[in-house]
Amino acid sequence: MGNLSKIVIIDDNPDFRFIMETFLKRNGYETMTAGDGQKGIELIEKERPDLILLDVMMESTYTGLNVCKKVRTNPDLKDIPIIGISGMADELGVQVEKWGDEDYFKVDEFFDKPVDKEKLLPRIKELLEEGLIKKGKAVRIGGKLYPKK
Amino acid sequence: MDDIDHQNAGRSPCPEEKELTDEDELINRPDNSSIVDGLGLRSIIDLLPCYLSIQDRSMHILFANQTFKYDFGEGIGKLCHEVYKGSPEKCEACPVQKTFNDKKVHISEETVQLSTGEMADMIVYSSPIEDASGNVEAVIEMSTNITKVKEMQKELKNLGQSIAILSHDIKNILEGLQGGAYVVDEGIKDGDMQLATRGWDIVKRNIDEITVVAQNILYSSKKRELKYRKFSPNRIVIDVADMFQEKARAMDINLKYETNQALPLVKLDPLSIRRMLENFIWNALEACKKDKAKHFHTVVVRAGFHDRFHLKFEVEDDGVGMDEKIRASIFDEFYSTKGSDGTGLGLLVADRVIKEHGGKVDVLTAPGKGSTFRVIFRLH
Repeated sequence: MGNLSKIVIIDDNPDFRFIMETFLKRNGYETMTAGDGQKGIELIEKERPDLILLDVMMESTYTGLNVCKKVRTNPDLKDIPIIGISGMADELGVQVEKWGDEDYFKVDEFFDKPVDKEKLLPRIKELLEEGLIKKGKAVRIGGKLYPKK
Repeated sequence: MDDIDHQNAGRSPCPEEKELTDEDELINRPDNSSIVDGLGLRSIIDLLPCYLSIQDRSMHILFANQTFKYDFGEGIGKLCHEVYKGSPEKCEACPVQKTFNDKKVHISEETVQLSTGEMADMIVYSSPIEDASGNVEAVIEMSTNITKVKEMQKELKNLGQSIAILSHDIKNILEGLQGGAYVVDEGIKDGDMQLATRGWDIVKRNIDEITVVAQNILYSSKKRELKYRKFSPNRIVIDVADMFQEKARAMDINLKYETNQALPLVKLDPLSIRRMLENFIWNALEACKKDKAKHFHTVVVRAGFHDRFHLKFEVEDDGVGMDEKIRASIFDEFYSTKGSDGTGLGLLVADRVIKEHGGKVDVLTAPGKGSTFRVIFRLH
C-alpha cells in the first residue's frame, strides 16, 4: 500500500527535509515538503496527504503546534495522522499530556531527534493503515488490511 | 513555610546530658574565656552575624541588634515592614503575625531592602515572648541574609537549563550526521555521486557545527589565563573571514572584510579574540540563513578605529535582525532563539571574551534590518 500514500514533510531545516524526503521516497512513499508552517498548511489543504511529518519547534510565528491546531480544527483534515518531530520531544511529550483537553495539540506520535528510522517506518505504516480504516477505505481482517470496495 | 512546635522546640536534653558543675566548667573552659566574659550578653547579641529584632503586636520594633541597625538604620519605634521593605502594608506571609496568632515558631523567605538600597533575600525566623500567663507579649525576629545561597540556586537552575539546551543542539547535530550518512550510503549504493555528494555536504556542515559547540563548551567551562601578545587586528580579521569563506559561499552569503592599514598592533589575547570573531561570524551567517526575504546576503567583518584611543571590531549582517526583547537577552546564559543552532553558547563565549578584555559591545539591530555587533577595546 505504501507507494500510493502521500506524506507532507514540514521542517524549516533544508537538510532535515532532504534527508526525510530521500528516506521516505526510497521506501515507496510520495513526498511533498514545506519549509515553514504557513506553506505547510497551504500544502496540506491543497494535497490532502495521508500523513504529516511535522517539526514542532519551527522558528517562525507559525510553529508546528499552530499547524497541528489548524489541521485538528478543520473537519476535512482533522483525521490526518501527524508525527511530531523535535529535539525536545521528551519535554514536549510531557506538555502535550498536560494539554489533555486541548485535542488540537495532539499529535499521533512523537519522535525525538535523531530519529530512529527503523522505528519510524513501521509507525508510519501503522498510522497510514489506521487512517485508511478511519476513512472507510480499508478493513482489517485477522491482522491483515484489505481494501474496501 | 515550616511550623515548629514551640512547646518542644530545642527543650528536651539528650539522655547523656548532665548539668555542669563549677569544677567541670573550669576543666572545660578554654584559656581565652575571659574574652567572652568581657563581652557581656548584650554585646554578643549586638555582634551576632544575623539581624535580631523584637516587635510588638502592632509591628513596631522595640529592640534591634547592632547588625540590624548597621544594615537597616536605627529602626526602633518604626514599623518593621517599613524598615525592611519600605512598605506601609504588612508582609503577606508575615511570620511575626503568625507567631502572635498561634504562639509557634515560623519561618519565611522574604526579599528586603537594605538602607544602601540594595535588595537582599532573607530567611526569617519568628519566636514568641510570652508573659507569665502564657500570652504573647512580643515576638523575636531573627533574619539571615541568604542572597548568596539564592544566587547559587539560580546558577544551578541555569546550569540545568543550559544542559537541556545543549542536549537539544547536539541531538539536532546528530540528526544531521546520521541523516547525512544515510544519504551518502544510498548514493553509493545506487552509484549516484550527486546524491552521495549532497549527503556528504550535510555531514560536513554538521561536523562544523559540533566543532563549534565543543570548542565553546570547552571555552566556557574552564577558567583560562589570558595570554596577551601583540598582533595585527587586520590580520586576525582576514584570517577568520577566510576560514568561513567556504561555508558562506555554500549558503549564498558574500562574506567580506574591511581593514584599516593605519591600525597599530594591539596587545590582547589573540586566541580569545579569534574565538569571539568566529562566534559573531557564525551568528551572522545563521541570521542570514533564517532570513527568507532575500536569496542573497552579505556579511562584513571589520577592524578599524572607533576613535583615537579605541579599536573596534564589527560583524555586520543583513539577515533577520532582532527585536528589542531578543536583543536584550542574547548574552544571557545559553540564550538561543530556537536552541537548535548552537549560537546561544557562542554569544555567551563572545561576551565573556569582551568582558575579560575590559571591552564593550554594542548591538545595532532591528527586525528585518540585519544586525551589527560592534566591539570596542582600548588601543593601549
